[in-house]
Amino acid sequence: MRGFLKVALLSTACAALSFPAAAQTLKLGVLATLSGAGTAWGIAMQGAAELAAEDVNSKGGLEVGGKKYKVEVVAYDDHYKAADALTAFNRMVFDDNIKFVVGPLGSAPALALLPVSTENKVITMTMAFTPKALSADYKYSFRPVIPSDVFSDPQIKWVVQKLGAKRIGGLFPNDESGQQVGAANEAAYQAVGAKFVAKEFFERERVDFVPLLTRVLAQNIDAFELNGNAPQTAGLLVKQLRELGFKGPIIRTGGDATADILKVAGKEATENVYVHQPINTDAPAIQEYTRRFEAKYKMPLNAFSPFFYANVQMVFAAMQKAGTVTDSDKVREAMLGLKDFETVLGKVNWIGEAQWKSNQQLDAPFYVALLKGGAAQVVAKCTPKLCE
Amino acid sequence: MDYSILLAQAVLNGLVIGAMYMLMAVGFTLVFGIMRVVNFAHGEFYMLGAFTGFFTYVYWEIPFVVCLIIAASTVGILGMLVERTLIQPFRADEMSGMIATLAISVIIQNGAVLLWGPVPRAMPDIVTGTLAIGPFNFPWSRLVVIAAAALIFACFWLFMQRTRLGRAMRAVAQDTETALIQGIRVNYIYPLAFGMSVALAALAGALMGPVFSVSPFVGATPMLKAFVVVILGGLGSVPGAVVGGLMLGMIESFTATAFGSLVSDILQLLLVILILLVRPAGLLGQREA
Repeated sequence: MRGFLKVALLSTACAALSFPAAAQTLKLGVLATLSGAGTAWGIAMQGAAELAAEDVNSKGGLEVGGKKYKVEVVAYDDHYKAADALTAFNRMVFDDNIKFVVGPLGSAPALALLPVSTENKVITMTMAFTPKALSADYKYSFRPVIPSDVFSDPQIKWVVQKLGAKRIGGLFPNDESGQQVGAANEAAYQAVGAKFVAKEFFERERVDFVPLLTRVLAQNIDAFELNGNAPQTAGLLVKQLRELGFKGPIIRTGGDATADILKVAGKEATENVYVHQPINTDAPAIQEYTRRFEAKYKMPLNAFSPFFYANVQMVFAAMQKAGTVTDSDKVREAMLGLKDFETVLGKVNWIGEAQWKSNQQLDAPFYVALLKGGAAQVVAKCTPKLCE
Repeated sequence: MDYSILLAQAVLNGLVIGAMYMLMAVGFTLVFGIMRVVNFAHGEFYMLGAFTGFFTYVYWEIPFVVCLIIAASTVGILGMLVERTLIQPFRADEMSGMIATLAISVIIQNGAVLLWGPVPRAMPDIVTGTLAIGPFNFPWSRLVVIAAAALIFACFWLFMQRTRLGRAMRAVAQDTETALIQGIRVNYIYPLAFGMSVALAALAGALMGPVFSVSPFVGATPMLKAFVVVILGGLGSVPGAVVGGLMLGMIESFTATAFGSLVSDILQLLLVILILLVRPAGLLGQREA
């Protein structure tokens, strides 16, 4: 018992000594889906915040204006629901006094809480793909991930030309995110001469898609689009499509779900699946990040994670530049001033003024990959204009 | 795709989902019939069955039939313990019993999140490939679910009809006091019935694990559907649960195939309201005296 007490005292002393006596706490919020079908994305966001915090904490804290701050990550689950996200966000803003948040994740939660974040000057780093997530009205809303209306056009054009697919089918969740993605997708396919002949909506809790897929397959589709579905759902869709005998190409234009699609549907079912790949998995910095993430969270890396990690690094750099961890106006200005900022993704900048009247969209290259033998192989590199 | 294929596919889907609803609802209605307890934690026992099936099949790599037996027996024993310790004290008070099961549900679900994490896990198929009959393709993984559910229900039915214990359970369900007079030990019947009820839910969970996936939240939908099924079939009626389960599965499958998921959900709930209005005791239920 005495030995145990000694060890306990010693470890407490060590923990206390690892931060200077004057170190203060900087709270970084994470508002994401930490349960249910969107968990892979939520953990990707939480992991990004925690790993970035680990970086600065291991050096004794983040030095801003001559003071050291220990970064503490406060994570809440939004259950991928707007109402739950708003409740958690209010708690973050009013109880925890947090000014910098990794999240919200989906479009519906984003639209619910953006008025609150704007009014209270809270910088958010969202994964919401809705075009409404960025606007001149939402001064504090940043988006580190490349949304489908930036990447879908060049990617869809490339895939349709390569496959010669004319009749497309797809299932989308029945909420703001799903409706938005469904409409954008339909327009993108039509623009390159293909037609969305079967489009269905479903409630997010659903796991049995066979009746709906039967309905979609009855329209004799050439290819199936997985955009807008959470990673686990995308995997189930691939599995159930193949069970129904569909052998045609399956396209994942939306957010990264490759690891889950492979895990849920298995090697055999995932042949002839084209996926959007936000990162180049051959880059050494990404490989190092993947190693750290997978060692800590014991799950495959979701490719969105490095984008949030990069954004949090930019927030920290902006705080140091602005000399404050509380004035979000100054931090925002400083962050927008970062040019060719070196991150895990390579050099990044801010774009979006022309499209959303808000220059708060991160700019980085993206890729199209084909799943083969249970692994993704990059088959095209893309910019917002073109894939080749 | 021609209409006959569409029809055959819808029948198969309906049977798979209906089989799961049937196993869930039979257990659910059994407990109500015998103990007058609405078990809100029934979906969590389904989830525990799915996890037991997952761990034994994926990590121990033993035959799936053995996994099913392990899932049913471990969850069944757990159910008996839960009944004995947490539900029995509220036997005289139905409302408190219901609240107790609600609390058990939250405890089990959150415990599962703490223990196994919230991330859904993919379970490999027990059998792969499809059965091709002419132009029809039926995945074996789904056909197995139907066959197994039918077999499990047949065993359950034989047990209830042909064994002394089954007859005793039915006697308690019909009239507890008369059963007591006949010398049936009700205190043994209650935990046994509860254990058997949750074992059926566990079997449904373990069977559906490979078809869908396994996570601490998988019990919610089957639980909700079990409610719908017992309203359709009649609360407390085992044949009602079978008819209701298969009927709901078919309705869900056909309406989703014909009109899409949103209309399907609306129609199912409209049907429930209709049944409640026209025949409150359910299709095969008996009006309470």
